[in-house]
Amino acid sequence: MTAAIAVSGLVKAYGPARALDGLDLTVQTGEVHGFLGPNGAGKSTTIRILLGLIRATSGSARLLGGDPWADAVRLHRRLAYVPGDVELWPNLTGGEVIDVLGRLRGGLDVKRRKELVERFELDPRKKARTYSKGNRQKVALVAAFAADVELLILDEPTSGLDPLMEAVFQQVVAEAKAAGRTILLSSHILAQVENLADRVTIIRSGRTVESGTLEQLRHLTRTSIVATTAAPVTGLDGLPGVHQAAVDGLDVRFSVETRHLDAAVRHLTTFGIRSLVSHPPTLEELMLRHYSTEQAAA
Amino acid sequence: MTATSTQPTGTHLTGTHLTGTAAMLRLALRRDRIKLPIWLIAIAAMVPRFYYAAATIVAPTPEARAEAAQMIRASFMRVLAGPVFGDGPVTPQGYFLAAYWVEFLLAAALMNILLITRHTRAEEQTGRAELIRAAVVGRHAQLTAALIVSAIGNTALAALTAAAAISVGFPAGSALLFGLSLAATGLVFAALTAVTVQITEQPRGASGIAGAALFAAWLVRGAGALQDQQGGPLFWLSPIGWAQQTRVLAGDRWWPLALPVALAALLVAAAYRLAGQRDLGAALIAARPGQAAAPSWLRSPLGLAWRLQQASIAWWAAAFLAAGLAMGGMSGGMTGIDLGLFSPGADVVRGWLSLMVFTGSLYTGVFVLLSAARLRAEEAHGRVQPVLAGPTSRSAWFTASLAVTALGALLLLTVYGAGLGLGAAVSTGEPGLVAEVAGASLLRLPEVLVLLALPAALLGLAPRAMAAAWAVFLYSALVQVFGPYAGVPAWLANTSVLSHLPWHPLGTFAPVATLVLTALAVLLALLGGYGLRRRDLA
Repeated sequence: MTAAIAVSGLVKAYGPARALDGLDLTVQTGEVHGFLGPNGAGKSTTIRILLGLIRATSGSARLLGGDPWADAVRLHRRLAYVPGDVELWPNLTGGEVIDVLGRLRGGLDVKRRKELVERFELDPRKKARTYSKGNRQKVALVAAFAADVELLILDEPTSGLDPLMEAVFQQVVAEAKAAGRTILLSSHILAQVENLADRVTIIRSGRTVESGTLEQLRHLTRTSIVATTAAPVTGLDGLPGVHQAAVDGLDVRFSVETRHLDAAVRHLTTFGIRSLVSHPPTLEELMLRHYSTEQAAA
Repeated sequence: MTATSTQPTGTHLTGTHLTGTAAMLRLALRRDRIKLPIWLIAIAAMVPRFYYAAATIVAPTPEARAEAAQMIRASFMRVLAGPVFGDGPVTPQGYFLAAYWVEFLLAAALMNILLITRHTRAEEQTGRAELIRAAVVGRHAQLTAALIVSAIGNTALAALTAAAAISVGFPAGSALLFGLSLAATGLVFAALTAVTVQITEQPRGASGIAGAALFAAWLVRGAGALQDQQGGPLFWLSPIGWAQQTRVLAGDRWWPLALPVALAALLVAAAYRLAGQRDLGAALIAARPGQAAAPSWLRSPLGLAWRLQQASIAWWAAAFLAAGLAMGGMSGGMTGIDLGLFSPGADVVRGWLSLMVFTGSLYTGVFVLLSAARLRAEEAHGRVQPVLAGPTSRSAWFTASLAVTALGALLLLTVYGAGLGLGAAVSTGEPGLVAEVAGASLLRLPEVLVLLALPAALLGLAPRAMAAAWAVFLYSALVQVFGPYAGVPAWLANTSVLSHLPWHPLGTFAPVATLVLTALAVLLALLGGYGLRRRDLA
């Protein structure tokens, strides 16, 4: 597979301040790539460089095999973009904006446009100035997903959408992926990325702190176990990699480092397991762990 | 959602409706701490500036005085600036009032129109008012605070301009009356704007309606001044006329000031009534639903640029047509004068039309500057990013936007020239004037294109300095309009963008100036495009 997006050592300086400080990001063709980071980490700056709206100070960025600054127009035929804070021309209707954005790209799928307008429950006859934040977001989403493109760059695309619309969004992304499109999804809604992303990149203060599949990242952290046994469990505290163990009669809960999971479960079986629930680490835990270590280091 | 609700509770000015007014007033003054003083100082500084222009014309020789006296009494000048009170020889102060008083009244009105819009409808439209009104703030606090800011501003304006008038030799009483005439006119237009902001959802619409009313007041006053040297019956229909009827330095009447004050009180009462009956953000004129899909022509950067500007251009064109017809219609009443602008013995009607054609070029200059400023707003508000994230190059976007503005300018010059020519043809019985004046108006396109290319170049090279284009425009207009009277040397006059084309239809076509200006416009636009391709977007 070739990389749809290949960024390495990217730096964007504004005077002495560095919005990006050696960022790396690789998105393989055909994957949904989660792009995670707290506010101000540099997600939007990276995307703006990828779109050729601003120029990197140093480092390299390749988009669909081209230079995002020099080949902007040619590359943009093959991608669609949804910003996190959609501003629309106040005196155009939502329908007009969808058509304009689509046609500027060389046309959009009229059937798909109609279907998406219905699924997102958008009234295309309203002037953009009367739209709420969520509705402006829907306009940009419909325009992007109705476009026949290889790459979708979505920068916190569902901010302001209600949970029902969030579900519609997830379906639409899944369909786009099934159709073979590559998607860069910047977000801090972790559940969304967890459901959709094949791989994630976590950034902080303009640098990549972690990148890989969710599986790989989960190896770095702990699984939580809740179990009921036939006899009260003892000796948990002595096991390697087990933390926060709490035994309450026949009920036991603890978290265990993923590489010691096998030993911990073996230990449990000696007490006769009646029920066992194991939770994989959530992205929340992943991110919180990264942020807290960064803060501790700083 | 946009209809007015009919809750009877809001119509009374009770205490709770005014809760928070003091805080809102402090906020408004804080927001205006730079803007308002600049307005006040700029207007007051115009007093000595125009006085010296007047003093240059009214030289201390009897001939110059007789000539100046004749000039201000000419129908030509009366329409633009009139009326003239008294018959005797003219002093520099008298000439100052006869020729420039109106400009001060217009400036005072404009300051108030923008001030009220800024603090009321613009706040609602951006949604900031929602944030404010969710706090412990009464429904009338914002409007009241805006009106108080306007009252403070107008009081300061009266004091500053009166002091400036004293400094150029006005007696104290007359100077104060002059200052108060400006304040009273400002007050009327503040009150009028307080009403118009209730009518439309758009701040631009609200100030547009108030601006149209200001223009109408100016026109009616001109027609009244044409009826009679001291102001005919029509004169009394205009708030600007009321201010001038105080006859500063020609009898000093104070009672006409009661008229604007009374009208302002009525308008303010109406504004509170309307404001109390409507929802926040709603307006008397409700927005209609639009198209569910874009029309088929809307498929290119050019189409988008046109779609974004079409309504604005249509409104401008309507205003230009009305202005052209009105000014042209006054051609028939023109009598012999020498403004010192044209060659001696020039055709009076064509002299008037030349001046009006030039004025049309100034208005078009305002249009192109405002239109160019939209490009920066598109970028700053993030609306251009989705366009450029598609396969539209920066150059294509830039070129299309400029092309639409240039096309709009061409349309406006044509419409204005045709209206002016038609009015002139009807009032003088010379049908040939329609084509002649329309053609004359079009000949001014090159200077308008330079005024467009200037902000375009700045957009690419120094986007934060785009306002500098306005400074160049104002400088050029002042040099061209007042330069001949202020004894501006030729080399300095030549630095004005607007001083290179001849007075049309009086003058003959100047191919070199036309070519040079057009080439300059193209060069500036290319520079802007070059800069835009290279820089980061906001």
